[in-house]
Amino acid sequence: MVELTIDNQRVRVKKGTTILEAADKFNITIPTLCHHENLTPLGSCRLCTVEVIVNGISKLTTACTFPVEQGIEVRTTSQKALEARRLAAELLLAKCPTSAKIKSLAQEIGVAKPRIKVREEDCILCELCVRTCREIVGRQALKFINRGLNQRVEPRIDFSPDMCIGCGSCAYVCPTGAIKMEDKDGTRVVYARNWEKEFKLKKCKVCGNYWAPEEQLEYIRGKLNLPPDFFDVCPNCR
Amino acid sequence: MGKVVFSSWAGKTVDNRGLGVKQHAYAEDLGLPSGYDHTKVAAFMGWDGFVVWDEKVNVVDMAHAYIKEVQKVCCGECMVGYIGITVLADTLARILDGKGREKDISLLQWLASGIKENAGCTFGQTAPIPIIDSIKYYRDEYLKLIKNKKAVPKSNYKVMVTAPCMEACPAHLDIPGYIQLIRNQRYRESLSLIRNGVCLPGVIGRVCTAPCEEACRRTQYDGRVCIRLLKRYVADWEMNSGLTPSSAKPRKSKEKVAIIGAGPAGLACSYNLALKGYQVTIFEELSVAGGMAAVGIPQYRLPRKILERDIELIEKAGVEIRLNTKIGRDLEMEGLWKDGYKAIFIAIGAHKGRKMGAEGEDNDYEGFVDGMKFLRDVNLGRVIEPKNRVLVVGGGDVAVDCARSCLRLGFRDVNIVYRRSRVEMPARKAEIEEAEKEGVKISYLVTPTKILARDGKVIGAECVKMALGEPDSSGRRRPIPIKGSEFVMKAAMIIPAIGQQPDLSFLPDRNQIKLAKQMTIETDTTTCQTSGEGIFAGGDCVTGPAVLIDALASGNRAAQSIDQYIRKGKVTQGEDSKLEIAVKGINLSEQREQEIVPREMPQITSQLPLKKRFGNFREVENGFNAEAALEEAKRCLRCYRVMVWLPAK
Repeated sequence: MVELTIDNQRVRVKKGTTILEAADKFNITIPTLCHHENLTPLGSCRLCTVEVIVNGISKLTTACTFPVEQGIEVRTTSQKALEARRLAAELLLAKCPTSAKIKSLAQEIGVAKPRIKVREEDCILCELCVRTCREIVGRQALKFINRGLNQRVEPRIDFSPDMCIGCGSCAYVCPTGAIKMEDKDGTRVVYARNWEKEFKLKKCKVCGNYWAPEEQLEYIRGKLNLPPDFFDVCPNCR
Repeated sequence: MGKVVFSSWAGKTVDNRGLGVKQHAYAEDLGLPSGYDHTKVAAFMGWDGFVVWDEKVNVVDMAHAYIKEVQKVCCGECMVGYIGITVLADTLARILDGKGREKDISLLQWLASGIKENAGCTFGQTAPIPIIDSIKYYRDEYLKLIKNKKAVPKSNYKVMVTAPCMEACPAHLDIPGYIQLIRNQRYRESLSLIRNGVCLPGVIGRVCTAPCEEACRRTQYDGRVCIRLLKRYVADWEMNSGLTPSSAKPRKSKEKVAIIGAGPAGLACSYNLALKGYQVTIFEELSVAGGMAAVGIPQYRLPRKILERDIELIEKAGVEIRLNTKIGRDLEMEGLWKDGYKAIFIAIGAHKGRKMGAEGEDNDYEGFVDGMKFLRDVNLGRVIEPKNRVLVVGGGDVAVDCARSCLRLGFRDVNIVYRRSRVEMPARKAEIEEAEKEGVKISYLVTPTKILARDGKVIGAECVKMALGEPDSSGRRRPIPIKGSEFVMKAAMIIPAIGQQPDLSFLPDRNQIKLAKQMTIETDTTTCQTSGEGIFAGGDCVTGPAVLIDALASGNRAAQSIDQYIRKGKVTQGEDSKLEIAVKGINLSEQREQEIVPREMPQITSQLPLKKRFGNFREVENGFNAEAALEEAKRCLRCYRVMVWLPAK
């Protein structure tokens, strides 16, 4: 167990707990966007920024990525933390002004209109889709393409059609609606601004309804070593 | 002369503008290399501030040139850094274009401080610092540009991007770059980035001395990032996945280059030249390629199949390796010119053992074997009869390799004698520790003075105890024999391993190629040129016995020079080398404010259990698994340092 202070409360939590998890345990809410409790934290959106005082030195950090340490003091609503959150919200809102989720988060944080202008995009590179595909679905259809000394590219999320099984998890988890999914007439399309893939949906032998992409069912069948005709019938009719 | 007009570096400010008392300061006072003075540099901006030597320099223009470079390196994984730096760059450009507004200054200030406080990596947290300083100290210049509403010309700034680890690496690998690719599970791209500077990733991932890790800034918090093992991870991943690298198809060129020696230096040079389209032939005396990596490093540190795979991929890039071909025996060096080779790279390594200076060492006693020959025999699988007691003489990696190999061959009583103390022992610490765990006994401050033999067979050595005196030219304390301390150590085998030198007997005309005092080849260290026309040299035959990454780096440099030589008929010092010299001396590790880094200890790998190490040469160290590699890759702080400077007119 580790003892620390959060907003003047002395608390004890398990070693390895992040500040965000610790705060949540004591009903202290910190805004998040790129965080999901079932995914590896990334710290991309910087909305969960808090002030941390370690050995008398005050610094900012993202609550989702920082594991608690003995004796630290966390201030989730200090002036410094709130200002940093406002800056992050303002940048996100400038990038993605039409997203309902970002608009409401920004409002909560106290930003109504960004004073800066950047190229607008619907994707904010939070990588929730990348992490979901890799960590939950077990595929790597989406990858983050970072920039760097030897990678002179625009940062983006790359799509590998061969790896995609059409499960649509990325579309569910995407906070801004940058990834979309539509089912129509026996096909499913998963798409974003610069990529798309179409899937044939499986028809139930009993009810005749289209119920899931064939590639996804094939993937699950292979993983669980199920008989070839296992998914011929939908769960409702089984 | 050479005094700065203004500087704000590492939190220290010197301001000589205006009429006040001059605070004299030179580059050296600021922690910048002495190369940075007004005769060479008009102004400089980097991660920890900026310096102006020429008062005519437009600091806003410099800030813009700087932030443009920062933007190119900014990865895009945190939104404050990514969007924030984009806006900084756009705003500075707008001001320079004469379209700035007064509120842009406070916008810049707000953003730059915000990024500094809350970006996701060290690079993001340090990069805005000079922008903040420029507004603080040169606000009038910003205001002037905004009020004039006229576009001003942009100057051409020189750029250097590096990091403490990259600078420490002789091959200057983009370490934060390939680690980040691992973090994003883009292993193939990570490996191809590694191959840009290191053509033997599997080998280097195992045996590199990793000076990068010594320089890693994370050491000051919870421990260095295990850079070497990360490199090994991607190399092994590629091999275990049965993939071959998607290297660019080499361009075809008719020009031929000859390389003497298929060791790390020769291989690196050949690989780079092949990618540039040259027809490269390596002439190798031994029956295997790899040089010291093949016949010097034992397999328990570097399994043969790893080396073979790395070399196979080099051959696939178009390099021809002729084994069992010794220049000076099977072919004459002079003949290479007649065969149409346009340049020669000598990379024969240092395989000849030095003499101990002990009486009887030249008597060809049975059981007296030079360390290099011993390791070569072991590595080539020649039968070595294990003896009861063996003395290995020396304190370097070769000595430790010999001793640990002896144990694996079934020698019972393995001893190292070293003339200085543990502190001065040049072998790697981890290797010494493993050797001791395995049962190697080390006697310090002992030197054999006479080899004892009966019927032509070694039976022991007369030794003398040593004391340490004043430091010698190597900086280590000189060992001095203690009179009257002679004693006898029994041994059925003695393996001297006290250093190696190149065997240069093949050189046709010694006057053509100048040699250094230590009987190595003299070269220009940046271009690898020898005194012979069209002849280059690198690796251990130039430096004396050194580490693998040094040899690789010299092979890379030689390839650049040879390419220039063939295309232009002369070698001009490469732009990279010039930058390298300019940056040397700046302490890349320092920054005004320290990060807060949550304690996450380095990942550890398992080792082959002790009792399984005898009677075989199985690899001792295991690599990372996927999870460990990912966790370790996350520990990189990304300490890229961007620097721009304006050359003086």
